[in-house]
Amino acid sequence: MRATCLLALVLAARPAPALAQNPARLRDVERVLAPLVETYGVSGMEGPVREAVQRQLPAWARTQTDTAGNLWLTMGRGEPTVVFVAHLDEIGFRITTIGDDGILEAEAAGGLFSSLWQGQPALVHTGSKTVPGVFVPRDSAAAPTPPGAAATVRVDIGAADPAAVEALGVRVGHTVTSPKRYTRLLGTRATGRSFDDRVGSAALVLAARRLDPARLRHTVIFIWSVREEIGLEGAKAAAAALGLRPSRVHAIDTFVSADAPLERRNFAVAPLGAGPVARALDNSSVTPPAYLDSLMTLARARKLPLQVGTTNGGNDGSAFSDWGVPDVPVGWPLRYSHSPAEVVDLRDVAGLADIVAAAASAW
Amino acid sequence: MAALALSFALTVSARPAPAQSVGPVLSDLAVRLASMTAITGYEQAMIDSIVAIVPGAKRDRAGNAVVVLGDGARRRLVACPVSEPGFVVGQVRGDGWLTLRRAPGRVSPLVERELEGQRVTVFGRRGPVPGVVGVRSVHLTRGRGITGEGTFTVDSAYVDIGAASMAEATAAGVAVLSPLAATKRPQRYGHDRLAAPVAGRRSACAALVLAARAAAAAQGMVPRSDAVVVAFVVEQELLGRGLATVANTRGPFTESIVLDVKAGAMGAIAQEADTALAHRWPALGSVARWSVGARYVGSTVESTSLAGADSLRAALTRWIGGAK
Repeated sequence: MRATCLLALVLAARPAPALAQNPARLRDVERVLAPLVETYGVSGMEGPVREAVQRQLPAWARTQTDTAGNLWLTMGRGEPTVVFVAHLDEIGFRITTIGDDGILEAEAAGGLFSSLWQGQPALVHTGSKTVPGVFVPRDSAAAPTPPGAAATVRVDIGAADPAAVEALGVRVGHTVTSPKRYTRLLGTRATGRSFDDRVGSAALVLAARRLDPARLRHTVIFIWSVREEIGLEGAKAAAAALGLRPSRVHAIDTFVSADAPLERRNFAVAPLGAGPVARALDNSSVTPPAYLDSLMTLARARKLPLQVGTTNGGNDGSAFSDWGVPDVPVGWPLRYSHSPAEVVDLRDVAGLADIVAAAASAW
Repeated sequence: MAALALSFALTVSARPAPAQSVGPVLSDLAVRLASMTAITGYEQAMIDSIVAIVPGAKRDRAGNAVVVLGDGARRRLVACPVSEPGFVVGQVRGDGWLTLRRAPGRVSPLVERELEGQRVTVFGRRGPVPGVVGVRSVHLTRGRGITGEGTFTVDSAYVDIGAASMAEATAAGVAVLSPLAATKRPQRYGHDRLAAPVAGRRSACAALVLAARAAAAAQGMVPRSDAVVVAFVVEQELLGRGLATVANTRGPFTESIVLDVKAGAMGAIAQEADTALAHRWPALGSVARWSVGARYVGSTVESTSLAGADSLRAALTRWIGGAK
């Protein structure tokens, strides 16, 4: 989810029905989610993630990749056209300078605290291979990055000079991340990096597996977008391509939750495990109240848990607003957003796929 | 912890004798030791593993792993500290989050601040339990008067293991005093670098393990006049208790070497007299500190040269054999 600055308000969250703890269902969720989480794709280099999504789609799915890099899956026919969009990219760094001492300087792609990467293992992605290294630790006496300042880091790949860097195939513009692994925690929780927005991407895959295109009475378009974290660039291209055609768009993206002891709890309190969340208001969109009511009615009719809340950040659906397309974003509660240690509840992911399938087929 | 120790021991002991293929074994062993956790006072799993792979090694009353090579009257000591800075669970909250307390000894500010927002492992009574150290969501700091990055200390840490209640955490074997450290993920990079917490000392200990194995396998390597005590010592971060016990129970020694790490050129081995240590425990005799050069010392990515560690192995083998 794109990190932008605005103040948001609290909306009352409706108590949700309990999510069923079906181990087989949660295993299905993990089988889709884990490979996506463990694939690397900083904004602008989403190719491996796009391929990972394609590998998991049902056999009937015929996808297209547009010139921006977005992956499209169009199902059904006729109007209205409803669009669901989740983004493929993740936050990371992009190399800006190669120092005389062989140390790389890199700036953040997306909103993050650079201190969470400093002093950790690093991976440089050249497009053809991955070069290991380390993020140089910050001097313990150094001042923290001031708010609003560009987050930069230094990366040591063991090269002594620019020639040695070049010999490793590393260039300015290549991206840098840290190693990541999907890991199950106690109960139904899991941790990893880039759950934002691999959970949304996984939910679209899981929903596609449950949909029968032949039974759809209107057109449904799933879009896995690129470059969301650096300005909704992929979504803007998709919105321009569709123009006035969509009747509504659902951004399927993180609901950054304050469900943790370090957070202020005056808004964004969507407990993990209580179900997906209608992002009724964020920094980029306000869901039209009538659409929010319709979504809640649908969830109740299907006995699907759905929370309502407000959080910070922007979403891809807002890129469609210039064509008057209503944005009805749906997310799931996430702790510790844009950190190496994001935490989700798998029941919420399963619930998110349910609500996407329901909204695609029956609303 | 027991599972970690067993897995480690089986893997290493199945390899060929180090004299035949020193290089690759040293690399593997250094990575494996660097992947293990031995928080001060909770080093048992590491010691168990070393006892399993060093022939004749036994655990002493302090918990050190000790092997004596030769039975001469002239006693010499070489010791490698295995302990590392870390934390224990200070409280299991009613809502399932854990708070922390520093284990005794020096915990560098780097070790603490690099814990924020990272994966950790809690060594519970029923085995390792994965978790994360919570961090503010970057999105929720914006526009709310919260300054972005603060100075994190372990006193403000909340550990999330996925538990929704104290009962759930307790059922997983997590309790007050369960040791906790950053999840180890040693990183090989560059030509021969190894990055990990305490990578310098762990690579030095790997070199000593292999030197001791070589000496144990080769009859007559140690001069008949000598007895060489090889010790992997615990609680070095807590006033050097492990080393003190070796000095008091196995000494007096004519000379001692203590392995260490030092910021400097990677691959270099610094050999310096440590008169303070010799003065503190006279039973150690003359003391030399042999330090492997490393970068980013004390951080999560402390980086050392495996070629340097192999040079240390060779030097230790010669020293055990009586070379000056």
